[in-house]
Amino acid sequence: MANIAVARIKREFREVVKSEEAAKCNIRVELIDDNFTELRGEIAGPPETPYEGGKFLLEIKIPETYPFNPPKVKFMTKIWHPNISSVTGAICLDILKDQWAAAMTLRTVLLSLQALLSAAEPDDPQDAVVAKQYKENRHLWEKTARHWAQEYAEAPKSKKDDEFYDKVSQLAEMGFDRHKALTALSAHEWNMERATQDLIS
Amino acid sequence: MASYFDEHDCEPTEGSTPFSQANNLLLQLARMLMEQGPELELDLTSLAPGERQAPPASKAAVESLKAAQISPSQAAKGASCPVCLAEFDEYEFVKVMPCQHKFHPSCILPWLSKTNSCPVCRHELPTDDPEYEEARKEKERAKEREAQLDALHNSMYG
Ligand SMILES: [Zn+2]
Ligand SMILES: [Zn+2]
Repeated sequence: MANIAVARIKREFREVVKSEEAAKCNIRVELIDDNFTELRGEIAGPPETPYEGGKFLLEIKIPETYPFNPPKVKFMTKIWHPNISSVTGAICLDILKDQWAAAMTLRTVLLSLQALLSAAEPDDPQDAVVAKQYKENRHLWEKTARHWAQEYAEAPKSKKDDEFYDKVSQLAEMGFDRHKALTALSAHEWNMERATQDLIS
Repeated sequence: MASYFDEHDCEPTEGSTPFSQANNLLLQLARMLMEQGPELELDLTSLAPGERQAPPASKAAVESLKAAQISPSQAAKGASCPVCLAEFDEYEFVKVMPCQHKFHPSCILPWLSKTNSCPVCRHELPTDDPEYEEARKEKERAKEREAQLDALHNSMYG
């Protein structure tokens, strides 16, 4: 990898490790290989969002041309969010595309992603199903997003969330894959009949 | 800002028709447009992001970037290049953008050959892309018009 990219990632890595946000366990980065081409990021679900208390892992790939081109980032932790694919974890965020600037860093990227979790942009969606639910039934979207955070991001679970668990378990007992069942229920307003139809079609 | 009616020593009457109101609005707008100097402070960061990154800075703009030398006091304060994040050395030569942000030449030149804005603050340099320049001007004009209509609306009804 080009020298400037490696030198920069080393500096940025230290910047994140020493940052105030890291001290508060809000963001974290880890090296995956010795070439500094791949890193693992982690952001905490922001307070007062359905993601609160969750930990979200990110795959970060540093291109050869960094920092002239943005890092390639996607969510490894499954998440229900209008701007993040519930299937692939791909992210729709302008600074990771045409609005990237060479002075941005891993720290600013992680903080921007955290901000995206606090403020979705449903008019520029990555996941059309989630975005539609976000716009048309905000309350159900919130409950679904919280359920995904509990299921996949270790967010704390409370008693009143049992209804969704029961439905997923019912479908799982019928022999469906748990994640597929959860996805089908999420996409069909937690309607058992429609989710089942989706799963067998 | 004084409203149209103050300046013209008259009151908007109950019977003023939508037409005359719209007409006044246009007059006021035309006057403001004429008064406006060519140098406008513009905030381009709020332009809607396109699918594509903005085009490279124009050759002329890149060539006319000022050079400067890092002073010992700047170096002592730990001034660094925002692209490679390395601290500048004393007396090191840097390129200075119109926004006063400083970079190693080897750091800013590759960036400006990709896109036209400051990596730190997005201050835009001119491009050699006529289509982009036209679109940019049109957006600036639209924004100005909106601001003027807002101001006008506030002065009339606010
Ligand atoms: Zn540099
Ligand atoms: Zn600048």
